[in-house]
Formats: sequence, C-alpha cells, structure tokens
Amino acid sequence: MDEALFLSGLLAAGIRLAAPIALAAIGETISQRAGVINVGIEGIMLVGAFVAVLVTVMAGNPWAGLAAAILAGAAMGAIHAVFTVRLKAEQIVSGIALLFLGLGLSGYGFRLTLAQGGSAVQVPGFRELDLFALSDLPFIGPVVFGQHALVYIALFCAAGLAWMLASTRLGLMIKAAGDYPQALDAAGGDVDRLRFVCVVVSGAFAAAGGAFLSTAQLWGFVENMTAGRGFLAISCVVFARWNPLAAVAVALGFGIADALQIRMQTSYPGVPYQFFVIAPYVVAIVSLAVASKGSRMPAALGTPFVSQRQ
Amino acid sequence: MSAQAASFRLQAVLAAAFMVAMVVGAILLAGANPLSVAIGIGERALFTRAGLLEAVLRTIPLTIMGLGIALAFKARIFNIGMDGQLIAGSVAAMAVAPFLPLDALGLFLLLASGLAGGAIWGGIAGIIKGRFGGNEIIATIMLNYVALQVLSWLIRGPMQETMRIIPRSDPLDAALRLPILFEATRIHLGLVIALFAVVAVAVLMQRSRYGFKLAVVGANPHAARYAGIDPRWIAGGVLALSGALAGLAGAVEISGVYGRLQEGFAPGFGITAIAVALVARLNPLLVPVSAFGFSLFYVGLGALARNGVVPFPIVNILEGTIIFVFLAGGIFVAHRTKRVQAEALDG
Repeated sequence: MDEALFLSGLLAAGIRLAAPIALAAIGETISQRAGVINVGIEGIMLVGAFVAVLVTVMAGNPWAGLAAAILAGAAMGAIHAVFTVRLKAEQIVSGIALLFLGLGLSGYGFRLTLAQGGSAVQVPGFRELDLFALSDLPFIGPVVFGQHALVYIALFCAAGLAWMLASTRLGLMIKAAGDYPQALDAAGGDVDRLRFVCVVVSGAFAAAGGAFLSTAQLWGFVENMTAGRGFLAISCVVFARWNPLAAVAVALGFGIADALQIRMQTSYPGVPYQFFVIAPYVVAIVSLAVASKGSRMPAALGTPFVSQRQ
Repeated sequence: MSAQAASFRLQAVLAAAFMVAMVVGAILLAGANPLSVAIGIGERALFTRAGLLEAVLRTIPLTIMGLGIALAFKARIFNIGMDGQLIAGSVAAMAVAPFLPLDALGLFLLLASGLAGGAIWGGIAGIIKGRFGGNEIIATIMLNYVALQVLSWLIRGPMQETMRIIPRSDPLDAALRLPILFEATRIHLGLVIALFAVVAVAVLMQRSRYGFKLAVVGANPHAARYAGIDPRWIAGGVLALSGALAGLAGAVEISGVYGRLQEGFAPGFGITAIAVALVARLNPLLVPVSAFGFSLFYVGLGALARNGVVPFPIVNILEGTIIFVFLAGGIFVAHRTKRVQAEALDG
C-alpha cells in the first residue's frame, strides 16, 4: 500500500510539474509546424508568470491573472512575429533577444511592483479541483481527478491541436507553411499571415505555462523562476517529433523525473542535493542525443519566406 | 527602390522605434526621467575615473567571450552556453592550480587549463550536435544548468576553503595571479591576452581556410557539403573552440580579478557576449569596441540602479532591445534582402 501511495503522489506531483512545460511545448509545436522557431519562449514564460501574479493579486482572481498573462504572451509573440515573419530577420537571434527582453521585463516589473512591499505578497492562486468523491478515490483520485483545471485544459488543447493538424484544412495549411511554403503560396494561401498567427498563439501558450508556474504550482513570482523550463519545452517538441500529444507525454516524463529527484533528495541526504537537481537537465541532454538522430523536422523551419507572387 | 522595398524599410524603422519606446516607457514607469538616465549613464561611465576603469575591467572577459560567439555564430552555430563553459574553465583552472609551479609557466598552464575545461564543456554540446544532430541551443543551455549545480556542489564540498565557512575555494597563490598592468588600478594582464585573442581570432576568421569553412557552412550547409566540408565536424569543432574561449575568460577572471572560485562571478556574461558579438556584426576586430560599449552601458546603468533610480533588470531589457534594433538595422544592409530571397528559393 505504501508503494501505491508513493506512486500516486509521484504521478500527481509529476503532472503538476509537467504542466507549465507541456503548455509551452504545445505552443512551440504550433509555431515550429508553421516554420518559425522561437527560442525565446523562456522569456515569454517569465513575463506570463509575472503578469499572472500581478493581476491575480490586483484582481483577487487567478483567472483574471491567466487572461492577462495570455494577452501579454501574445504581445511578446507578436514582437517575434514582426521581426521574423514580417522583417525576415534571423529567427534564432530574434528569439535570443526575446529571452533577454522577457528576463528583463519580468524582473523589472517585479521590482517596481510586488517586490516593493518588502514582505511576501499573498497570492490568491489556483487550487486543485475537488470533485468530492472522485478526488477521494484511492490511487487514481489525486492523479486523475485532483489536478488543476488548467491541466485538463492543456490536455484538451493538445488533443484538439493534434486533431486540427491531422484532419483539418487549417492544419494542412499550417503544415504546408512549415514544410513547403512555396506550395501554399502557389495555391493562394498567405504564408506570412498564417505564420504570424501561429507565432502569436505560441506566445500565448508559453505565457499560460508561466502563469501555471506562478499561480498554480507555486503562489508567487521569483526572478528567473522558469529555470530553463522554456528550453525543456523546446526539447520536448524535438523529442516528440513535432506531435503535440507526444510533446505533452514527453513533458510528463520530465515532470515525473523532477518529482522523483525532489523525493530522492530527502531519501538520500548523504548525496549532495545538486546531483538530484541536475537530473531533469541530464535527462534532457541524453534524450536530445538519442531522439535527434533521423528525426524529420519541418523542412522550412527557420527559413524566412518571400512570396514570389506579384 | 521599389514601393515594396520602401514599405519593408518603413516597417523596420517602426519596429525599432517601438522597441526603443518600450525602454523609454519602462524608465518612465519607474518614475525616472529617461533623458537624465541617459545623461547619468554617460557621466558615470565616461567621466569618472572609477567608472571608466570598471568598464575596461569588464571589457576583458566580454571581448574574449564575444570572439567565441562570433566564431560559432559565423557558422550559424548558436552557442548560448558560454556561462556554463566559463564555469567549467574556471573550475578546471582552480582544480589544477595546487599542482602548478609557482612561476610564469604555472600561470600559463593555469590559463591553458581554463581553455581546456571550457573546450570540454563546449565539446560535449559539440558531440551532441555533430554526432547526433541534437539542437545546440538546447544542449548548451542545459549544460549551463548542470555547470551551475556542479559549481554549487564543488565549493561546498571537495573544493571548499580549508576554513569551511563560506562556500568558496581557497585563494590562488599570488604567483598564479595575473599581474596588474597599471599602478593603483585593477586592470590586469588579461587586457593583453584579450587583445592577443582579437588578433588570433581575426586571422583565423578572415585569413585562414578554417574561417572560410565556417562562413561557407553558415551561409549554406548544402553547398558546404558539395565543397567537401562536413558541416557536422565544423559544428562540433566550433562549439569546442568557442567553449575554449569562454573557459579562458573564466580562468582570466579568476586569476585576474577574484583570485578564488565562488558563485555568481561573471553573472550573465555569456548572454551579454551574444549581444556584444551581434552588434559587432560578428567582426572580431569590432568585438572589443562593442564589448567596451556594453561595459560602459552596464557600469553607468549599474551605478544608477544602485542609487535606486531604475531597477537593475533594465540592463536585460536594454540588451534585448539593442539586438532587436540591430536586427531591424540589418534590413538596411544592401545585399540582405537578396540573400533572403535566394535562401527562400533554395529552401
């Protein structure tokens, strides 16, 4: 029974830790499928995390914070889109600039507002759903029915996106924009507009991931609190071969690894804790080496498109 | 100029103007006057002796690291892991220090160890990129976090000072410290090393076969393959090479400034080095100029932040904005649009 309890707790915590990475990975999948790589989602997540806490405190409602974070993330995505899609700038460099910008804006805003009081601010963040009898079920209760509402929304989004990419006209157009934009262009589609929208949406998802981190997983903002989760999300996308549902599954793997290392820290006090902290990063590095071999990324990923139509 | 190109340029100007307006807005939000902030930066950085010297001191590691970024980015290999490579280099230097002779040879070997440590840390990312085709951005970033944690363990464990009070190493022997160049300043021999590195990297990039290969791989990996250049070898090698420069910068900082290993030295230098190299347009001869410019900015802003005029993260906002403005400015480099079109056709 102890093992079952441990496993149930581990899975429940793993899902909670995976959710921010999964949300960001869903967004990055959309953007990369359309042909735009965004290495700055770490910066967008930070802005999302900060804005969510700020507005949650001001409005007293975490959903208002989430909405504000999504808007801020979309705006950050729009900056990336203007530079990469409209101005055809180097996508990686624009992403790096976005990372600095997000790091700076979130830290700057935090020191101007929440950090002013000196004492920690009370954040009325998200609580786990309580579906009464269901959540009290042994083992599966806390894992399946005891999560934050956002977890279910993320899963729903991933499934919807997978369906959209596989079976709709819009999905086909997005894939064309990322794989062979000339064809979409010749068929009369607007490659740049499609890419622009996808990049903005990916920013919104990344910010929602940040909001989860700061208003559901933790209740508060700390400078640079994402600690590489944005980059973990990008490696999820690569590892999942640009499939949104698989990306969520990979994120769950990272989340469980993280939950496990936290538990190991207390179980093995003799081992320096730093060795456990690096575990998820090492998992990411190794999986990157294993998964990249022979993976087929969107053919036009990273390439600006210039329409040849007059 | 066609109407299309004109509207393209207008958009670039508007985008750059928007980014600058955002910085001005951020300063206004803090209740400060953007004009007096700008003047304050100039006054502190350019017209005080302490400010100017501090900027020169900061220019040394940023130049060495900016050169490494220029090399890698030339081949379109995006090394974002210089912070980790710098740590690896300084750890390697401190680890061999107790076994070194206490003379000029020892100092040379200390710096060489830093170089080697950085090369190994960059080389790990190089293997992931070159051998397995893994994205180097993710690999180098992840290795940053690993390096940070390993350093945190080392200075609380095997490499902690003999007193075992503060998480830091014992000090380096005076013989292994880089000598001070000018009386009553902190400017050390690293300045000469940095300038030497500028010349070496400039020759490598602009006069050697290797530099040409980097440029070919960066411009078009497919063409490189036809020319008998293996882009995977170039990618792996240049990651190790730029890591080596970051490691050298780490050893120079330890030996020239701090004299011991501790946490949080050279904060964010790896990120700033990227901005330095991009603004220098990856030209090694311009890297020191750009590094000095960024250092002046940092010193000036840092002084204002300490006085509570604006919160410190304005530095990051400004670095991001400078890169965005640089990207928008790239539109105006004449052949730029043509190259993009050629790439689009090629893709």
